[in-house]
Amino acid sequence: MEKLIYEKPVISKINAGMPSKFGLPVKQKIISEIDGLAISDLMEKFGSPVFVFSEKTIRETYSEAKRAFETRYPKVQFAWSYKTNYLDAICSIFHEEGSWAEVVSGFEFNKALSLGVNGSQILFNGPEKSEADLTLAIENNASIHIDHFDELYLLIETARKLNKKARVSIRINLDAGIYPIWDRFGFNYENGEAWNAINRIMLADNLELIGLHTHIGTYIMVGSAYAIAASKLANLYVAIHRKFDYWLKYIDLGGGFASKNTLKGAYMPGTETCPSFDDYAEAITNALISSEIPHENLPLLFLETGRAMIDDAGYLLTTTLANKRLNNGKNSLVIDAGVNLLFTSFWYNLGIFPSKETSSFTEETTIYGPLCMNIDVIRDTIVFPQIKVGDQLVIERVGAYNVSQWMQFINYRPNVVLIDLEGKTHIIRKRENLETFKSLEFNPKL
Amino acid sequence: MIITEEIKISDNGFVFNSRTGDSFNLNPFGLNIIKLIAEKKEFEQIKEKVLDEYDISDLTFEKDFYEFCALLKHHQIILQDNPLEFK
Ligand SMILES: Cc1ncc(COP(=O)(O)O)c(C=O)c1O
Repeated sequence: MEKLIYEKPVISKINAGMPSKFGLPVKQKIISEIDGLAISDLMEKFGSPVFVFSEKTIRETYSEAKRAFETRYPKVQFAWSYKTNYLDAICSIFHEEGSWAEVVSGFEFNKALSLGVNGSQILFNGPEKSEADLTLAIENNASIHIDHFDELYLLIETARKLNKKARVSIRINLDAGIYPIWDRFGFNYENGEAWNAINRIMLADNLELIGLHTHIGTYIMVGSAYAIAASKLANLYVAIHRKFDYWLKYIDLGGGFASKNTLKGAYMPGTETCPSFDDYAEAITNALISSEIPHENLPLLFLETGRAMIDDAGYLLTTTLANKRLNNGKNSLVIDAGVNLLFTSFWYNLGIFPSKETSSFTEETTIYGPLCMNIDVIRDTIVFPQIKVGDQLVIERVGAYNVSQWMQFINYRPNVVLIDLEGKTHIIRKRENLETFKSLEFNPKL
Repeated sequence: MIITEEIKISDNGFVFNSRTGDSFNLNPFGLNIIKLIAEKKEFEQIKEKVLDEYDISDLTFEKDFYEFCALLKHHQIILQDNPLEFK
């Protein structure tokens, strides 16, 4: 006799008055493959957990963003925000697509140079630039985005020593209706600080002001905030021409477009609420085109889009280690990927899906990582089907900020794999091993 | 294991506890198991029947069965012994 398919016995409480999908048969989304490659094959070959990136998705997302802006505005240039994901292979794809580099440290600057990026196509942001970093940037003809007055004076001094001219822009913080205002970065627009800095720069012989920069924040869900920011920068752009009879070359509106991930506490899923590239492009380009800037002097528009460009292309594949009932009767799972690998789990309810068909019975479940720490919660509450030990799960939209902000803790950081356009797999960052650590440590007791 | 008197179980897996006013859903296999428990079958008997009919290993079923019983106790559907008597 053929045996029946087993499903473990479960009882779940019905919460009267509280709408809940509890116990109802919902169609569970499944991710069984990425770009045609089976999850089980990828994990057999590259271990668990493993990050997987799709080159196809990266290029498609880039084209979509580029098209949204280029169809509305004459001069657009993306600069890849290195901190979002600075694995060489990922950066190289963006550079192949035509992106410049947006960096915030000497390390990132050198990484961009090592990938063959011309120094004049590097935008150097951030509050952390040492004299050595500034020297590197001046020597390579990069655009240095000045963050504060101390940096401005250090830069004047450094350029003097080198007897070279530095190409600069200033970072401006402004009220775009997004709170809190990120006023710790750059010079303020509303109180006149930005205008003062511009005047000081225009007086310095060895600085050439070529652009204006702002980055109003991250995961900005309204295009209108960018419209406000663009108009304010356009005002300065025109004021500089009025006073100095000189047109700058560019306006850089930074990053900050939302990705389709769902923020913690959000009522609606990110896939429903996230504006499209077209929405952002419409707001930004309208603001610039309808500003006082004459059409023939419109600036080159830079965008440093990070998370919206790469989140969708990254997946983390993970294995179920245990099933546990909590004391309150709630179901929980332990998986082999912790919050140390998933920095973005602190602000998103990441999408986690089984990789094969499951039972239709679902219940509220907490998903824990394997770290011996209470904070290691990947999903506090998710309506989830029954999962067995060994079952493989897929966490989607983890392309941004995880493989740059991950922490090594308790175990090695895993392989990162790229699926190229032909469907071939490449390890683009090797799993760490004991030797990785031994090679950096010195033990005076041995 | 004794299911308390106040518990009503319907054939479609709906459970009502008239003492606490709580109601519950059982998945189909949960319903099978609770019926066997209601018939006062012991674990060994239940296991034998399940292993006979379903594609499942004895250890997995044992773990799932006791997890299910813990849930039933938690929801006051079966009587809880004093856990500190260590019987
Ligand atoms: C100056 C600057 N540009 C670009 C970015 C990328 O931002 P996002 O990933 O929100 O697009 C950041 C991120 O913090 C940033 O600080």
